Amino acid sequence: MNFNLQRYRMWLIAATLLIALYAAARMMAGSAAMLAMWPALEMLHAPVQWWQSAELWLTDQQELHQKYLAVEKKSQQQAALIQEASSLREENRQLRKILEISTMPGYRWHAAKVRGRSPDMMSQRLILQVDDVSMDDVIVSSEGLVGVVDSISNNHATVRTIFDASLAVPVTIPGTALAAISRGQGESLSIEFVPLKQAPQTGQVLYTSGAGGLFPPGIAVARITDVHPIPGQLFVRIAAEPVAHWQRDNWLAVASQLHDTP
Amino acid sequence: MIAVAMLLLALLGISLNLAFAGVLMQPDWALAVLLASLLAHRHNWAWVLPAVLLHDMIFYGEIQINFIIMALLPPAMIYLDQHLGAGLPQRLLLMLAAVTGLLWPGWGVPACLLTLCLCVPIWRLLTRQYAQQTA
Repeated sequence: MNFNLQRYRMWLIAATLLIALYAAARMMAGSAAMLAMWPALEMLHAPVQWWQSAELWLTDQQELHQKYLAVEKKSQQQAALIQEASSLREENRQLRKILEISTMPGYRWHAAKVRGRSPDMMSQRLILQVDDVSMDDVIVSSEGLVGVVDSISNNHATVRTIFDASLAVPVTIPGTALAAISRGQGESLSIEFVPLKQAPQTGQVLYTSGAGGLFPPGIAVARITDVHPIPGQLFVRIAAEPVAHWQRDNWLAVASQLHDTP
Repeated sequence: MIAVAMLLLALLGISLNLAFAGVLMQPDWALAVLLASLLAHRHNWAWVLPAVLLHDMIFYGEIQINFIIMALLPPAMIYLDQHLGAGLPQRLLLMLAAVTGLLWPGWGVPACLLTLCLCVPIWRLLTRQYAQQTA
């Protein structure tokens, strides 16, 4: 018996370690481990920032002047757009009041810098440097929906992208009665609950419907790549790809829901 | 000492992957270092496996096939060493299996090849270090 124990001791230790590691992994599951890496990422990005600052000293006055004029022009254009958006928001509010439609929750938009991303080809998870965000705040690129905030720590947040199977986005095609759900499939999207009669065509773009109140309405989510009717089934099988390509974006927008104060 | 150095290198590799993914084509630095450590000395599994688990948790938030393959490597090495003797072809096959596992979580083929190219010299370097230690 003693001989047997000696012989199998290493195997017992190995099995115990593996079970312990598996249990630890089950407890740690989520993006907390990724978020804990932010100090290392800041350190790695620091030389890039130093280089960019040093570059300013080497840029000549004329070039700086031209850059300043371009930025000022862009700023004026954006100010005009903000004014237009404000008047549209007010008009929307008044129309909703006339039509007696309950108001959609408001959103505060701000920018976030991408500090890190998971190294798979689709960058399924991101680390953002951002102030004042909450869990489930919506992340959007210039092209479309990216995902939601998953965890937060010290001005940094991780993002669960729409490739994640746990994220269901209510989508629609504007001007139609379609109400479907977009769900992540790892490297593609699946559009669920689309009746055969309302099946969209390949290439059509789906937008957030605003149902559920988490995602602001009207954000582009997915472009249909394949529509496959299943004989005898009520719903069609639809595959799609995200409209947004955040794999190379350095800046993303965050939409934080404004909660009414009592 | 080697273990600490390799673990620090793996941590640096994880940070590099997170910081510059999408900007540069990179190998899986950490997996290459940890795999080379395991191939160079099979008893390193005691610190390599927790490090691979941490690697998977940081990158994917859950255990991936990489960890399972890496966990199978030490018993496979013991079995192959006992039945066929400690040989290079078996080790190369195990290395290929471990690197191929990167395809499942969505790494591209070029990244896998880069990981392979990084793993081989580190493995050789570590093998020499361990041989010097025993001599």
